Amino acid sequence: MERTQKQLFGIVGVPPLAVMEELAANRSDIVDLDEPQGRIDLETASPFLPRVYCGILRTVIANCLAVKPDVIYIDTGAGKCDCAVHTATVLEDILPQTTIIRTKNQDSCDFGIPLCKARMNLVEKMSAITSGVQLIAVEQEIIPCQPTAGFWGVPPRDFSLLSLFPDTTHIYGWARCMENKTPDNTEMECHYNSDIPTVFFAQSFCAKTALARHLAGKHPHGLYLDCDVTAGNSAKSKIQAFLELSGVTI
Amino acid sequence: MLLADFGTSYCKLLDTESDKPPTLIPTRDLDRKNIQVDIATGHNGKRYATQYVNELTALARGGLSLIDEPSFTLLDCGSRDIKYVIYEEGIIKDMGWNAECGASMGFTIELLEKYYTIDFANLEIPKSSFSITCGVLGMSHIFDAVVTGESEAKAVAKFVKGIALNAYNFAKHPEKIYLSGGLCDNPLFVGSFPCSVVPLGRFVLLEGLQTPSAR
Repeated sequence: MERTQKQLFGIVGVPPLAVMEELAANRSDIVDLDEPQGRIDLETASPFLPRVYCGILRTVIANCLAVKPDVIYIDTGAGKCDCAVHTATVLEDILPQTTIIRTKNQDSCDFGIPLCKARMNLVEKMSAITSGVQLIAVEQEIIPCQPTAGFWGVPPRDFSLLSLFPDTTHIYGWARCMENKTPDNTEMECHYNSDIPTVFFAQSFCAKTALARHLAGKHPHGLYLDCDVTAGNSAKSKIQAFLELSGVTI
Repeated sequence: MLLADFGTSYCKLLDTESDKPPTLIPTRDLDRKNIQVDIATGHNGKRYATQYVNELTALARGGLSLIDEPSFTLLDCGSRDIKYVIYEEGIIKDMGWNAECGASMGFTIELLEKYYTIDFANLEIPKSSFSITCGVLGMSHIFDAVVTGESEAKAVAKFVKGIALNAYNFAKHPEKIYLSGGLCDNPLFVGSFPCSVVPLGRFVLLEGLQTPSAR
C-alpha cells in the first residue's frame, strides 16, 4: 500500500462512533485490519499468534505487519472478543512505532439494519456492512425483502462461502450488530428467525462457535457451520446441500 | 439416463433405461477419456457429467428414498471421507463431511485387508480399540501393537473398531445408524459400532440421483 504524509489509522472490530466521527472529521486514511488487505501471506502472523487461532485475528496481525499503520484502534470489549485483548498486547510488543489504542465499544444508539434485510447478493451485502463501519451517517432506507434463508454470524474470513446463498438471505448475529453500530448487543446477536432455514456460522477457534452451535440447536431448522481461513469444499457443500434440501431456491 | 457416483476407489454406474443393477468399477480402471454421464456425484464427478449433484445432497436424497422413517441418521463411510446427514421429523437438521481429519479410513481398511491378507468375516470384534481420527495416521497403532507382540489380525481389528467408533462419534453418536458405502460389506466394521446399524449398501448416493428433485 502506498503511504502518504497523512497518518494511517487501522481499525479492528467496530470502534466507538465517537472515534469514527473524529477520524471522519480529520479525513483520516482508514484501513480495516479485520479484512485481507491484498495478497498478504497469513503465515507472517505465525511467529506472533498460534496457527490454531481465529483466522480473522491472524489476518489482523499479518495486515499490521505489512501495512504498519501509525495508529490502531482495536476494540477489546465484549463487542469484539477476548482474543482481541491478547492480540492487542501482541501488537503493542511487535509494533513499537505504532500507537495501539484499546477501545470498548458500548454504543447503544441503533443505526438500523436495512442492509441485513435487503434483497442483495450476500457477498455484496456483507461487504457493504463491513465497509459501513467507516461511515458515520445512517444508511439510506432500503425496502426489506421477504427472507427465504438466514445467515447468522460474523463476516467470514472467506466471503466466498456467502456466494452460495440466495439474494433473499437475511443477516443475523454479530454482523447485524455491526450494521447497527452496536457490537455489544447480546439481545440482537442472539436473535434469529425461526421461520427460515438458517446457517449459524462462526470462525473456527472463535468463542462465538459456542453461541452459533447453541442457537443452531435451538432453531427448528438451523445448521451450525464453522470454518477457518478459507471455506473448503466440505463447508461449501454443507451450505449448498442444506439450502437445497431445505427447499430454498438459489 | 446414465447416473454415476464417482468415488475415490470405486465408481458406481446406473443406466436407468436398463433392467441391469448398478455396476461397480474400480476408479483406476475407469475409461477417463470416454466416460460421460448425465447426472453425477462424488469426487471428480463434475468432470464427467452434464449435471452434478453435491455428495451430501445425493446422500440425503438417497436416504429419504430408502429409509421409511421421518427421523434418521445416515452415515456414509467412503474410501476417502466420511459424511452424514441427520433428519428430524422430515427436516434436515444436521450434516457433516469430514474429508481431512477423517481421511482415508475406508482406503486404509482395504489396504490393510490386502497387505495382511485378512478375511474380515472371520475376525472377532475386539473388546478394545485404538483411538483413530485419521486412517493414515492411525496405521502407526497397528505397527506399534505388532511390535509389542499383538497378532496382526487382532491389531487390525482394533484399528477397524477405532475407525467405526470415530465415525459413530462424528455422526453425533445416535441410537441407530443407517450405513452407506462399501464398508457395509465388512462385518467387522459394521459390528464394531456401539449402536444398532442398518447397512444400506454402496449405492445410496446413486439412489439419491434417481429422485425427481435431483433431475
